[in-house]
Amino acid sequence: MREFMHYITNAFYGATEWNEDNTYKELNATARELIDFPLPLGLRVNLASLATPHFATSYQLGTVGIVDGSISYLYSSVALRGVAAQSDRIPLPALLRSFRRLHDLGSRGDEAAPNAGGPGASASHAVSIDTDGGVGLAPTHVGGNKVTGRDRDKSSLLYGRLYLPQSLLEGLVVKRFSPVLQVQLSAVSEQSLRNGGTLLGLIQYDKGKFGVEGLASTDGGLLGVRGLYNLGGDASSPGATPTACSTNESSSSSSGQSGERERIYGRFSVGGEVYYGTLNKSGGMSLGARFATLPAHRGTPLTAALTINPLMGNINATYAILAKEYCSMATRMEFNVYSYESDWAVGMELWSNRRPAGFLLGVDPNRQREEVAQKLAKTNERSFQAKMEWRLDGPEPTTAAEEAKVPAGQDTPGVTKEEEYLGVLKARLDQNLRIGLLWEGRVKSLIFSLGTGVDLHKLDEPFRSLGLEIQYSS
Amino acid sequence: MAFNFNWSPLTADERFYERARDLLTTALNKSPKPPIIVDDIFVTEFNLGSVPPDLEILEIGDLAEDRFRGIFKMCYSGDAFLTLKTRVQANPLNTYLSAKPSFTSPQPLAAASSLTIPLQITLSEIKLSAFIIVVFSKQKGLTLVFRNDPLESLKVSSTFDSIQFVRDYLQRTIEVKLRDLMMDELPAIIHRLSLQLWCPDQVLKEGDESKEESDPVQNPLGSPPLDAIDASGHLLDPTEISSLSLDGGPGTQSLFSQKSIIQLTSLNGSNHTSCLFTRELHNSMLRAWAGPSDRVDASPTPPLATPSLSRPPSYYGSTHTYTFSDIGSQDTGLLTSRPSSVNLSHATAGLSLGSGRHHKAGRKKKTRVVNLRRKTGSEVSSEAGEAVSDSTSVQGPMSEPAMPTSLLEVPREDEMAVLAGSGPSRVRFRGSSDIAQPTPMQSADTPIVSPNSRDVPITSQLPLRLPQDAGDRGKAVETREPILVDSKSQRSRGGPQSDTSSVILEQAWIMKMAGEIARRVYDEKNRNPAFWEDRDDTPPPAYEAR
Repeated sequence: MREFMHYITNAFYGATEWNEDNTYKELNATARELIDFPLPLGLRVNLASLATPHFATSYQLGTVGIVDGSISYLYSSVALRGVAAQSDRIPLPALLRSFRRLHDLGSRGDEAAPNAGGPGASASHAVSIDTDGGVGLAPTHVGGNKVTGRDRDKSSLLYGRLYLPQSLLEGLVVKRFSPVLQVQLSAVSEQSLRNGGTLLGLIQYDKGKFGVEGLASTDGGLLGVRGLYNLGGDASSPGATPTACSTNESSSSSSGQSGERERIYGRFSVGGEVYYGTLNKSGGMSLGARFATLPAHRGTPLTAALTINPLMGNINATYAILAKEYCSMATRMEFNVYSYESDWAVGMELWSNRRPAGFLLGVDPNRQREEVAQKLAKTNERSFQAKMEWRLDGPEPTTAAEEAKVPAGQDTPGVTKEEEYLGVLKARLDQNLRIGLLWEGRVKSLIFSLGTGVDLHKLDEPFRSLGLEIQYSS
Repeated sequence: MAFNFNWSPLTADERFYERARDLLTTALNKSPKPPIIVDDIFVTEFNLGSVPPDLEILEIGDLAEDRFRGIFKMCYSGDAFLTLKTRVQANPLNTYLSAKPSFTSPQPLAAASSLTIPLQITLSEIKLSAFIIVVFSKQKGLTLVFRNDPLESLKVSSTFDSIQFVRDYLQRTIEVKLRDLMMDELPAIIHRLSLQLWCPDQVLKEGDESKEESDPVQNPLGSPPLDAIDASGHLLDPTEISSLSLDGGPGTQSLFSQKSIIQLTSLNGSNHTSCLFTRELHNSMLRAWAGPSDRVDASPTPPLATPSLSRPPSYYGSTHTYTFSDIGSQDTGLLTSRPSSVNLSHATAGLSLGSGRHHKAGRKKKTRVVNLRRKTGSEVSSEAGEAVSDSTSVQGPMSEPAMPTSLLEVPREDEMAVLAGSGPSRVRFRGSSDIAQPTPMQSADTPIVSPNSRDVPITSQLPLRLPQDAGDRGKAVETREPILVDSKSQRSRGGPQSDTSSVILEQAWIMKMAGEIARRVYDEKNRNPAFWEDRDDTPPPAYEAR
């Protein structure tokens, strides 16, 4: 589960149209999130609130033998209106989904370009990151307000978090200087750290076709540069963005446009990173490449990434696929050509539209089933009409229809559509036969996350960890 | 005096290396490791080599059958080596990130990927030079402490020898690490090893083995008359030792301590509970009741206060030495705390506790010391012409603070045994030489302090002791008891400066004692020549006298 503050930060990026995925750091983010999802430990309760469109607070209390907690505040200069912050309305995929679709490139460069669906679309991407099929949704809710250029370009975000009783203080400042330039400063202050804390500065330059980052850390005097260059797909043609948008629009309206994208349609990205610690005279580097299908692709969405660390002889290949709309999988293989060490891991997530423990919680299962049946019927009808066009747009018609009925407002079709998913099961397995299981979902207005780690090597005591995390936000 | 250190027997026992490796491995993995080490550290090879260290005895503070305290100067430049195996993280960025908070982590994508490299480090050509304090007690094992940083130099060779930078780094790091290990961990390791050797009942796995050994031996011992078990136990010692010495000397020493400690524990436990059954202790006697004939065997199961009980002999055995030692310790500053604390405990014990204990302990101590002296002396004389070096080594420590108490008595009785007639004069000579040896300040102080400190013990102890002597001493004791009283009172009367000659009666007693000592020493020497075994297996003098 993404933390509430993370979600709000994403909403901020969405509102300011910053593509946080266009960086080398996120090259294999999809597979990483599918495999390395964090397991909750102990009992943890989050209370969060987006009190005003500019201000959010979050309190966390946890216990793993000892009780600890944290208090965090966030201020955004951009009004985050329309962001679904209530835990009973937050789109679950935005919080829980791991598979990431690529965002449109360069949407920030041209202000006026996609008047119809452009900004709204990109905003919805960023906020409800992976709302499947939400790509082409019409003006929407989650990213809500459109930020005008001037506000957006000078927007800033302040975030602070105090962990107790460790007295660890985290601070983050994000400042946007121009449509393509953003600076992040993050700092940690703790007594046990050398010099009492560390500071990391990050300059991000995102030109759409390429994104460059420079970073400097006070810890060891680390300097780093990393960059990502996109080619192919929408990045290759000059009119990439409009094309993509129009594709989206056409597909979302399911106008039955002929499949000029029959063949696999995606984007190549290559990048690299270099680090050097000026104080400890050590460094590191890596190179990477990724192929990912674009949302306009009609086939199975997939992401494949390969990273190489030539200094350490490490090769890392990941492959993630959205096999069905409710099921995505990822594999990762690692090999070191120097030490011949290898590693593999697989992960998957399975979405369910069944209410978790529905009977116990007194939800009428019949109604639920009826709804589902109704939806399915509609879907079937639709897809029968537009057969073989886009196999993933099954739910689209529903939302479109609902959208037509419901005026675009706070209670939005997106949310309704996502409501059909009420829980997700994530699982992973790695080379050491360690299994991680995570079940996340929504009960009434609480979002819960129940996870455990199982070690198959020690079958007499298989459960290595157990945790439950509960989040309520308003 | 000679100490026989066997270096090669350590290496002959292959289980010794196994144990030592295990202990070293656990010790090395105990403390949290730096992030660069990603695996456990394994000690794969460990060899003490064939060259023994040079040991120079600087001071012997306490010497008895079951305990020993001394200071050595050790120099070592032998062929011992140690090989470690572990895995290290070769990516500096990985180790850099591992200790940093994730919030400010630069989050590299693949630049921090790990590359672990197996690493083998061999430490050889170790040169040590240190002052070592050795404290040995049969109950508490062997404690060894370095007074200074022992490591002079060593050679580190590793898998990365071809890379100059890495080699230098390893050399530096390991030297620092090893210094810590020597100063902190090694004493603990040696202590645990010694516990396994001498006190198997404190280490469970070892205890089980030696229990099996001891039981068949103990049973035949239990069949003789109950009251004579102590003596008979020691009577049987030679045969036991001859049968058990095959599997290592130290094992035999644990025979008695283990059994009796178990019994004492059960007895103690029955006192703590409401259990009506009180365990009968066949093989032990309470110290307070035991006659001097039984006293020797009390050593395996003494209470914790053994040192304070055993110290008194020096106290009233010769008062002038006591005061002298006190001054010496104050002046030299070496081990100041120990003599003073011991003195305090003496005073209280002598005043408050029963004098029988006091007296007995004193007697015991005395005979023990005599034993050792004689033994070592006879060994020396029988072995080689090292008597000269021995005597010099004895002479040296005489000026040391904690020593003179026992030393002073010992040579005196030695001399008595050999030259009976001139014994007393020798005593005086020794005493005066002792006083003469220290710095002028010390000798100047002695007369001033000695009267004060002498008053307390004499007045308090003598009256208490005499009735005890008359009362419950056995025959063998009585024969010797008067001597001590006489000599002591005479000495206290005369003091170190007194020129009065010895009494004839005393000479006669001394002659008798000397004969007994000589006989016993001869027996023991025949029985087992090894030094450390000797200490344990000395027969009770009372038994010998009978």
